[in-house]
Amino acid sequence: MAPDRPPVEHSPMDRPPMEQPRVAALCGLGVPAERLERLSAALRLPLWRPGDYPDDSPSDSADPTRAAATVLALLDGLDTAEAAESWARPIAAWIEVGTLSDEALAAAAGRARRADLFAFLTTATANHVHLAARIVRAITDLHPLPDTQRDDMELALHEAVSNALVHGNLQVEGMKGLSVAALERFSQDLAARMADPLFANRRIEVAVWLDADGILVEVADEGTGYARPEHMEFGASGRGLDMIAAIAEELQLLDGGRRIRMRFPL
Amino acid sequence: MDYGIEDKDQETVVRLRGRLTFNDHGKLRALIREMLQTKAKRQVLDLSALEFVDSAGIGMLLIAREEMSNVDKLLILRAAAGQVKRVLTVAQLNKIVAIED
Repeated sequence: MAPDRPPVEHSPMDRPPMEQPRVAALCGLGVPAERLERLSAALRLPLWRPGDYPDDSPSDSADPTRAAATVLALLDGLDTAEAAESWARPIAAWIEVGTLSDEALAAAAGRARRADLFAFLTTATANHVHLAARIVRAITDLHPLPDTQRDDMELALHEAVSNALVHGNLQVEGMKGLSVAALERFSQDLAARMADPLFANRRIEVAVWLDADGILVEVADEGTGYARPEHMEFGASGRGLDMIAAIAEELQLLDGGRRIRMRFPL
Repeated sequence: MDYGIEDKDQETVVRLRGRLTFNDHGKLRALIREMLQTKAKRQVLDLSALEFVDSAGIGMLLIAREEMSNVDKLLILRAAAGQVKRVLTVAQLNKIVAIED
């Protein structure tokens, strides 16, 4: 982290401009046909079904991190969110429909079109499908990585996603101290919040941009924010952000701690 | 995460399998209870079949270490590999817990 760094015109931590959106089609997984057709028209994205290929999808593209057209999947229900084929190329963006209005879906689709990979899920679903592992799989599909680098990135993403889900959206405090009592308190709080739709339906958003020499990842939650304390008493919790810092090339906390931006070298 | 316990004379060996993350709080509580009921002083967690551990998983291992130490038992982490071995290193757990290859 370099909070005192002077501003520069373009830093590797900036989101790369996305002049040509990659998302070229829409598919619905568990979404009623009528609503899907309405959204397809509103978003001006043709419908795609597994087995089809988006119009201009050269699978042997010269630069595998760019160019290939992708599909935005609208997910409804845990079964479709869990299925491995829901996370396979050319699908590169995942929006859980849930209780979102057409307007909110369109806004999320707009954000999806500005990223290489994008996920917008409820807390319950993101936790259930192991979102970080799914995103890392999608990243390595675009750009194969050595095992160690892949493992490190999965840990960093998992920690960022866990922080967003547990501390951000569910507002559960970490385990203080090193006792079974602290573990039990954590268990009870986590179970209670996960069972409360007010918390479990809060959203997590993950966006990924790949460029020639790095991967930029943002993870955002809908919690009350977080300020990194200057001094941290380690109990059983509190190591996640330090682990991310040890792995990522650069790390920023944005939006009052509701959004973390990480960069990994390629 | 799943686990299997093998209670020997000299040591209790617990083989952990799968992913150990913040979602496994209930399993860890049950495991710590079972370990406290065994006789052996040496409580070995065999991590060779563990595929993934996160910071909360590390925290729960430290709780296990503390709970064992409170009743004069010794927690040993054995045979970590791959991602798990790497996380133990990144978290510098060797300073706090006995680690064996």
